[in-house]
Amino acid sequence: MANQNGNMYGLTILSPIIDDPKSKVSHDSALRLYLQNMPRHAYSPFTKVSGTHFCRLVVMDDVVFVGSPAAEEHLKSKYLVFNSNLYGGLDAYLAEMARKIPDVVDDIWSHCVGYPGVADPSAFAAYMKKCQIETTFFFADVNDKTVEQTLRALQMKVEFTAFIERNQGASPAGLLREFAAFWERVRELPLPPAGVKDLAKSHAAIA
Amino acid sequence: MTNINGKAYAMNAVTPMKTWKTPILLAVFFLIGVFKSAQKGLVDLSFIHFARWVVVQNNQFPRLAPEQPEEQLKYDYLLFFSNFNGTWNEYIDAFSAVLSSGLNLIWRWSEKFPGSVPVTAFKRYISLVQFDTDYYYTAYPYATTSDVKAAIRVDDALQEFANRAAGLTPEEFQQSYLQLLVKVQADIGALGPAPMGT
Amino acid sequence: MVKLNFHDIQGFVARGYNFPHASFLLAEILDRQAGREFVRHTAGRVTSAERWQQGKPPSTLNIGFTWHGLRKLGLPDATLLSFPDEFYQGMRARSRILGDIGRNDPANWEPVWKENVHVWLAVYAQTPDELATRCGETIGLMRETAGARLLYTQPAAAIKIGGQPTSKEHFGYTDGFGNPDYEGVERDTIPGQGKLTADGKWAPLATGEFILGYPDEARELPACPVPYLLGINGTYMAYRKLHQNVARFRVYLDEKGKQYAGGKEKLAAKFVGRWQDGTPLELSPDRADPALVRNQSRNTNFTYGQDQDGARCPLGSHIRRANPRDAFGFNGDLVNRRRIMRRGMPYGDYTPEDQLASDQDEHGIVFMALGASLFRQFEFVQQQWISYGNDARLGSDKDLLVGCHSGGGDKFVVQGAADAGNAPFICGGLPDFVEMRGGDYFFLPSLTALRLIADGAVDPR
Repeated sequence: MANQNGNMYGLTILSPIIDDPKSKVSHDSALRLYLQNMPRHAYSPFTKVSGTHFCRLVVMDDVVFVGSPAAEEHLKSKYLVFNSNLYGGLDAYLAEMARKIPDVVDDIWSHCVGYPGVADPSAFAAYMKKCQIETTFFFADVNDKTVEQTLRALQMKVEFTAFIERNQGASPAGLLREFAAFWERVRELPLPPAGVKDLAKSHAAIA
Repeated sequence: MTNINGKAYAMNAVTPMKTWKTPILLAVFFLIGVFKSAQKGLVDLSFIHFARWVVVQNNQFPRLAPEQPEEQLKYDYLLFFSNFNGTWNEYIDAFSAVLSSGLNLIWRWSEKFPGSVPVTAFKRYISLVQFDTDYYYTAYPYATTSDVKAAIRVDDALQEFANRAAGLTPEEFQQSYLQLLVKVQADIGALGPAPMGT
Repeated sequence: MVKLNFHDIQGFVARGYNFPHASFLLAEILDRQAGREFVRHTAGRVTSAERWQQGKPPSTLNIGFTWHGLRKLGLPDATLLSFPDEFYQGMRARSRILGDIGRNDPANWEPVWKENVHVWLAVYAQTPDELATRCGETIGLMRETAGARLLYTQPAAAIKIGGQPTSKEHFGYTDGFGNPDYEGVERDTIPGQGKLTADGKWAPLATGEFILGYPDEARELPACPVPYLLGINGTYMAYRKLHQNVARFRVYLDEKGKQYAGGKEKLAAKFVGRWQDGTPLELSPDRADPALVRNQSRNTNFTYGQDQDGARCPLGSHIRRANPRDAFGFNGDLVNRRRIMRRGMPYGDYTPEDQLASDQDEHGIVFMALGASLFRQFEFVQQQWISYGNDARLGSDKDLLVGCHSGGGDKFVVQGAADAGNAPFICGGLPDFVEMRGGDYFFLPSLTALRLIADGAVDPR
């Protein structure tokens, strides 16, 4: 299954964008503007779709003319590319999109041809699958960690690095005691939020 | 710059292929998938979180309604999407320097591909076929793929250590801790900001 | 075999002169016509890369220009626009790219860098008298032609210990190893200075990595300004005056050296990747080895492939960062296009080890790096490998010696082994040991190009 690599799924969606000569602002322009203003980082709607490691939205205007002797040709529609590197299965992911960020999904895909809305999750899933293109080859450097596991591991790395530095040269008894306290504390730490741009600003201060 | 989010860069590229060449490319990808060693270069370079190639044949562009005109295309299209670390120049320089035969194997079927060596013409071609991202999300913008792999190693080692630690005397604990340090000593770089793109 | 035009290439570009005294003059071009006169007279006296048949001359002279200098000399717009971005912008404008922030921010640079630095002149000499004579002549030329005005004189000299010039720098390390070997240079290849071949031997790098007009490692001719004749046999230089906080360094080394199980000397070696006498850690991890240092075929002949965990030479040590060799795998192919040719020279009085140093003293290194592409070589190493560490799997840790640490949280990790005598050790709270006092990018034209500039005969296509 070329969309799958370990536990990671490479979702590639190409949704034709409505071409309405009568609209005041073209759908692709409106969509571009919307995407430009969509909240980013920790405020991104995709923080709520828990399987999302990396995703992107791209308005693809046309194919490219690479120059003679290649022929010039053009797409008759513009396409919205939605490309997500997600942990887990497709059905659960689409259902989560519909459930957790219905307004954003509506705002985006209402510009696309044949979009049925998100109120009926199975109609939405069917629509997305109609727009889906099979990923031919999917490379994943890490293919077996959820977003949570990844965030937790990164947090551990930061915490433990600080611990090592702080306790360099400690006596055996001191080290044992300090580590016990450390282990106690880090396991209670809240998970760092997804999408945060600058870890230092969001993370609890390290001694 | 919407292609960039923290330490990650979202590259998108589209190249045309004569339809008779598409099956050859599909066979290439099949073989790369089967022979995992062919992917070793990508893993060793440790530049890319996730990347994908998507072949869209000329009759495969989704058509959702009769009023949407049917595409009439001569070429098939190879789409490429990458999430990589480092600057655009560093990324392409590295690939051109050490993975040029792999790159050529994938892109030689695309029209007017100049080859991945020398690098100047290659960069010019990429600039021509690259299109910009409108919205880019990553759950961990502050981490490169090397950071993520290091974090997983540290996390695993720490967990294993903590499990073993119960019931050790202070001296035994210290010795075990020393072994833990040696295990993670190459994985404890800071998670700070990346240099600005050039 | 590449044949270099030694008559045309400036001597400073093709070789390190190895003279004990130098002065670097920074000047402003006052007027286009008179400036060209100055260049014409200087071109007649510039030292080329020709072999010295009668032994070393008493002094040498070389010249370079900033983009603004070339503009003042009246090069056509199309030519000026064909130079690379970074050269046009200049080092000051690239400060954030280079990590020149905090104390190193251009706002804190020496005043001369706010003036119109157009010309760089390098005078090397065997004795202080000869240095004064040659500098005097050059400055005299500026006055006679009324073409240029001296803005600043930067003296430099090899550090003398026991009355003898050495290749030490102010922190006490023996410097000058590992300059890249490239094709066409008339000297023996020193193993370790070139690139690795498939069978583990060393070969010279392509000339075009260091001199314009010759094929480079990407198997093409490097980007060159237009017209071609202006660019070939020339190269670019990054010039940086780096103040060294010797007192701060010694205090830090003392303090951490007491905590480090291997001791102070070994820790000093770990910072850099060489013992202070120059012995590479990779070949001799436990002690300095003077015989090894003296042996040209060994003193830089090593790779990191057998030391992936950094137990011999730390992953973040200065020389491993600046030239990773095969540390990133792929037989070193990722590094071949990131080499820099160094021509640095210390400035200021040396404070012997047993005397108290002061960070207020004027001492440091005049750092000069040459290469065919500032962006791809010097800037890249400075930005990605010195001021950052991801390629070396060090996250955002910076180089201990040269990195800008103004923040306070930076650290250096000495990787080790599972025995108490060689345990992993973290040097935290890194202060700034080196401060950037100012610099810029210069183009060092060939002798032919100098005459073209002097004649106002630069003709873009």
